[in-house]
Amino acid sequence: MAVIIELLGWGGRRQRYFTVEGSAVTIGRSYQNDVVLGDAHISPEHLRLDAIDSTNGVEGGWQLTDLDSLNGVEVVKNPRAPSSLLTNSLFTSSEPQEPESKILLGEGAELKIGRTRLRILSDSHPVDPAKELHHLEQDVGRLNRLSIWLPLFIISLMLDVGSLYASSYIEWQWKNVLSTILGTQAGLLMLALFWGGLGRFLRSESHFLSHYCLILLAGLAYSLAEWLIALLGYNLGTQSVALVLTPLIALLLAGLLLSANFALATNMLPRQRWVSALGFVMLIIVVSITAQVSQWGEFSPYPSYFSGIEVPALQFADAESVEDFVAGFDPIFAEADRLALD
Amino acid sequence: MSIDKNTLQSQPLRLAFLLITVLLIVFLLGKPTSVFAQSDSARTLFADNKAGILQIRIIDITSGSKSAIGSGFVVNDSGLIATNFHVVQMAASKPEQYRIEYLSASGAANSLTLVDVDVINDLALVQATGQITPVLPLATAEPPIGVPVYALGNPLDLGMTVVPGTYNGINQTSYHPRVHFTGSLNSGMSGGPTLNQAGEVVGINVSTAGNQVSFLVPVTALQQLIAEHQLRGQGVENIRQRIGQQLIADQQKKFAQLLALDWPTIALGEALVVNELSPFFRCWGGSNSSSDKAQLLNADRTCRSEDNIYLNAKFNSGVIEHQFFWLEADKLNQLQFYAYYQRLFSDFAPGNKAREKDVGDYQCDSQFVAAGDIEARPERKTKAVFCARAYKDYPELYDVLFLQGTVDDSRAAFISHFTLASISRENAKAYARKFMEVAQWQ
Repeated sequence: MAVIIELLGWGGRRQRYFTVEGSAVTIGRSYQNDVVLGDAHISPEHLRLDAIDSTNGVEGGWQLTDLDSLNGVEVVKNPRAPSSLLTNSLFTSSEPQEPESKILLGEGAELKIGRTRLRILSDSHPVDPAKELHHLEQDVGRLNRLSIWLPLFIISLMLDVGSLYASSYIEWQWKNVLSTILGTQAGLLMLALFWGGLGRFLRSESHFLSHYCLILLAGLAYSLAEWLIALLGYNLGTQSVALVLTPLIALLLAGLLLSANFALATNMLPRQRWVSALGFVMLIIVVSITAQVSQWGEFSPYPSYFSGIEVPALQFADAESVEDFVAGFDPIFAEADRLALD
Repeated sequence: MSIDKNTLQSQPLRLAFLLITVLLIVFLLGKPTSVFAQSDSARTLFADNKAGILQIRIIDITSGSKSAIGSGFVVNDSGLIATNFHVVQMAASKPEQYRIEYLSASGAANSLTLVDVDVINDLALVQATGQITPVLPLATAEPPIGVPVYALGNPLDLGMTVVPGTYNGINQTSYHPRVHFTGSLNSGMSGGPTLNQAGEVVGINVSTAGNQVSFLVPVTALQQLIAEHQLRGQGVENIRQRIGQQLIADQQKKFAQLLALDWPTIALGEALVVNELSPFFRCWGGSNSSSDKAQLLNADRTCRSEDNIYLNAKFNSGVIEHQFFWLEADKLNQLQFYAYYQRLFSDFAPGNKAREKDVGDYQCDSQFVAAGDIEARPERKTKAVFCARAYKDYPELYDVLFLQGTVDDSRAAFISHFTLASISRENAKAYARKFMEVAQWQ
């Protein structure tokens, strides 16, 4: 039976592993050991593991012997310590052990020596079944190209500058525009870096450009949707369209974006991914509703009427006669009466 | 407050104060005789009438201390006292919290009952339980402009004071007649009388614009209110209802007059806008045409009637406001011009102040309307907004706000706007109709 010594990295993920045949394993910095580690805080001969066979239905394990190491051995986890030998209970705590002290380790035990974490397994240790590779991961993974990102980035920059230019009625100054655009793009970059970093950490691949492309695409889609909603509101002459549709679209896009980000950066199953994205969107809803609850029903001395885009060429709705408009005052008065009674 | 400060003064300061006072008296005595004669008649008037002029105090029933003060004067031999509505307003709207009391020059104090108000002219009548003398006679004829008159009252709770000034006739620039009095009225003198040299009341102190420009309610309004009260023979039971009726009647009369007029127009850019409707309308205007930095042309004209009906400290009414803007894109491209237009269009507010206690929220509607000659100029698009808020205490009355914007593809735009405070539904509709008909892009 071979022993597997796993070298653990950040977050308990395996970085390297050693397979050692035989019933005894020595670990240390010197080249005579079965497992040779480079950590400067590990002694040349640090510890030895001796296999204990399973007997009478009692699970086997390893006996740990600290070979008079300088910094000792810390048992971080020992989930399946051989129970029949627990009475010896020499592994009382995570304190560095006495020299030559003997501790019994079970399958999956984790040790810390120096600054290195190790996990001890037998080669018959079961592994999880393979996870299906979702098509989404492959699809959005294809975005990870400069030739896709660059055009998207340029389009989004041009849209930013264009919309600022179209809405500016004071003297055009590039320095003001640049600071605004740099601020926006820096925000997007940070977000992409966050997801890329998370992917690097969790899956060892950052997909940075894919994340960046996804964020840019979501931004473009939102701008387009916002403009269409404003156009609809303008023609219907009401703010309620924007009040209802804008948050809906924003949440939908946020959900889609998050789900794709999760797919690229994490190992979640599709269902987990959707649930997480939905949960995040719910959180946004709850936070924004809480923020607005305090303002609900607040009196305002100022009228609130539609104010959105005003572009005559985009008016498709029919105009009504002055008489009809004035006749429409009656429902307004009736509603004003009702509001005054509240 | 000032009393507290005095007691804290040190000995040398007090000496200096005394010295200055003595010097001042010497200086005043050395003045030419005309001023001496004026102060002489002021002295006589003051001495003769001070017993008939009272400090009116609004007492908070729970704390027992005064919350507001003003002045008042005796108008008949059964103890009827005239003052301003704004002096007694708190007691009128919350009789369970406030009561009214007077304090005479001799130090006598007693409670008063509110019997009638004229909210339009800012007058109130309060009734004492017994007779108070002397009764101040009301002038039967308007004095000529330029005669010296004397305002009496209790400014800033400093004690009974006489302020000499000049009668400057009924002010033509306000819908509700006000006498222009050249003299300094201060808060606390509100509701006190202004007397001519014969000792007759010519007006009731009401407000000041600062720098010796003050206003009085003409005595005729008080005579009418007293006559109505005597005809009724008893106090008004429901003051709130009475105020509502007065507001309704006032706006009815005012808008009947305004709507019957042939509205004069004046050009603003390519548009014709409403000019000064009557003397009580005041118009201002301006443009940025001389500015080098301006990216577009913006010319505006604003007209207001400065009639404020005081309803409470944070709620006034009666104002009429017209506003017009003419815009030309100039250096801006179309999209930028529309962005400016949109910003301007979204930023209109009512002309009077009000609180949640007094009015409901605004309810608005906005529509594209076919204003002007739409067939000849199909590229011009007009949008109109109408908002109304209802008065909580006075049914059938509203503040309304109207806004109309027309913009075309030739890079010009015209915005017209009015706000009216305290108006009925029918008058608001008629006013909007007329306004839309008169103020138009040609």
